[in-house]
Amino acid sequence: MEWLAAGIFVAALAVIAFEWVHRTKVALVGAGLMVIVGILDEEHAIEAIDWPTLGLLTGMMILVGLTERTGVFTYLALRVAQLSGGRPFRLVVLLAFVTGILSAFLDNLTTILLIVPITLLLADVLAISAIPLVLIEILASNIGGTATLIGDPPNIMIGSRVQELSFLDFIVNLAPVSFFTLAVVTALLFVVFRKQLRVDPARAEEIARLDPARDIRESKYVKRSVAVLVGTIVAFFLHAPLHLEPAVVALAGATLLLLIAADDVEHALERVEWSTIFFFLGLFVMVGGLEQQGIISQVAGAIGEVTGGSRVGEGMAILWGAAVGSAMVDNIPFTAAMIPVVDELAGDGPFDDANWWALALGACYGGNATMIAAAANVAAAGVLERAGRPISFVRFLAIGAPVTALSLVIAAVYLLLFQL
Amino acid sequence: MPTLREMPLVDASVGRSATFLDAARALTEHGVAAVAVVEDGRVVGMFTDDDLLRGLFPRYLEQLRHTAFLEREPSALGARLDAAAAEPVTAHMREPVVVDVETAAVHVAERFLHCDWGAVAVVERGRFLGMLPQLEFARAVMASRTDG
Repeated sequence: MEWLAAGIFVAALAVIAFEWVHRTKVALVGAGLMVIVGILDEEHAIEAIDWPTLGLLTGMMILVGLTERTGVFTYLALRVAQLSGGRPFRLVVLLAFVTGILSAFLDNLTTILLIVPITLLLADVLAISAIPLVLIEILASNIGGTATLIGDPPNIMIGSRVQELSFLDFIVNLAPVSFFTLAVVTALLFVVFRKQLRVDPARAEEIARLDPARDIRESKYVKRSVAVLVGTIVAFFLHAPLHLEPAVVALAGATLLLLIAADDVEHALERVEWSTIFFFLGLFVMVGGLEQQGIISQVAGAIGEVTGGSRVGEGMAILWGAAVGSAMVDNIPFTAAMIPVVDELAGDGPFDDANWWALALGACYGGNATMIAAAANVAAAGVLERAGRPISFVRFLAIGAPVTALSLVIAAVYLLLFQL
Repeated sequence: MPTLREMPLVDASVGRSATFLDAARALTEHGVAAVAVVEDGRVVGMFTDDDLLRGLFPRYLEQLRHTAFLEREPSALGARLDAAAAEPVTAHMREPVVVDVETAAVHVAERFLHCDWGAVAVVERGRFLGMLPQLEFARAVMASRTDG
């Protein structure tokens, strides 16, 4: 039975990686098969679903979706473009950091869906190619998302599963290295793309003439939406002393916003990406099947054997292994499978957070390597495709792979110096 | 209730090899919400007024929710038609909504309510007869009720 479980999981990963069938269908079929053939029973399948992760995702989707209606994120992107004065270095740095910071506190997938269309318009107005800017934003979103518990799906899953890690722990242990990585990567990308980003001064003046606040002035519920979003982020910082799960914080914020700033609940709930929620649901059941059959324990045992139980060896194996795995498959299913492995490696000893940071850095940074490695990349590629400006897998790889390698070297040095 | 055969159908169609500009002209000349894209007499697609707008403006516009900040027309955003004009209509068309000429009016009304544009293609044994604008359909139904 364990071979069957492994076979279903590997086959599902392959189909997801090659995008033969929509990933949600794959995850649900894989989960269904595991239950039908008896790899795990219905009771264990329900238990395997990580409800806090689903709650956190749903809450943030509602919160961000309702706030997005007000135009505040468009306002931010436009103000950044205006502040750059059309100077390429400033434009790249400001766009990268706004994307990184928004990704950290909203989530990187949402940020990309908000910022890429407006970037396409800005690039048209400035008469420059949008592709370099969008590539910088994708890479910045995955690096920025690494900084917090809610910034990137791998971190959401880790934070929801590991009760000992708070929102503040993620910030303290991951934000500085993410910020440093973002600075290095942004500088590198500017050097690579600088010739494609030269702006005619007359075009820069067109950007200066835009009125970013106009959409906000015409929107309802701006103050309420922004206040609840900011309040929810503050509450994330306080969730541990308040003894509230991050999912409860997100759902409480979403409920409050639904109460005070949504005229039509049905319409507001359309902001929830149900395909993503069901993808996670199926994934958790499949990983539950692997756990049930003892495959997770075997993988953890193999890692322990290879590293000889060395803390440094385990940390490095998790960091690089998670990055390679995420690059080849997708960092969400890979992290879902790796979380119980890392849990198993810890054994019954005192809690050690180092391997969790290695997993977060490996999976999130690994998400930059290929176009299919992270949900944000796939979403951005979709926006570009629909806009008639597709980006090829190879072109993404040519930038993404070196950036990932550089980021992982920074992460490895950070882990060796401060965590392992 | 009148049958579809009695309703004023508009012969608004273009061939499969037509360009975006051909389809745009057919749409505006006939003043209907959609024209049929036809191959060997059969409807293979539909080009609607939404498709026309999408072709006239940058394609990412649909993914933007806020554009009031563009108080004046940025010079770079006006050149899209030149690029789109020669593109094949098949790159812009969508799945057609087709009803048979013998269809009951209630079914036609249901079709109109479930598609996002105001014209359906009417066919007889699979062959294109013409486009039925939603307003003409409603007018015919109202007239039949008044007469009755």
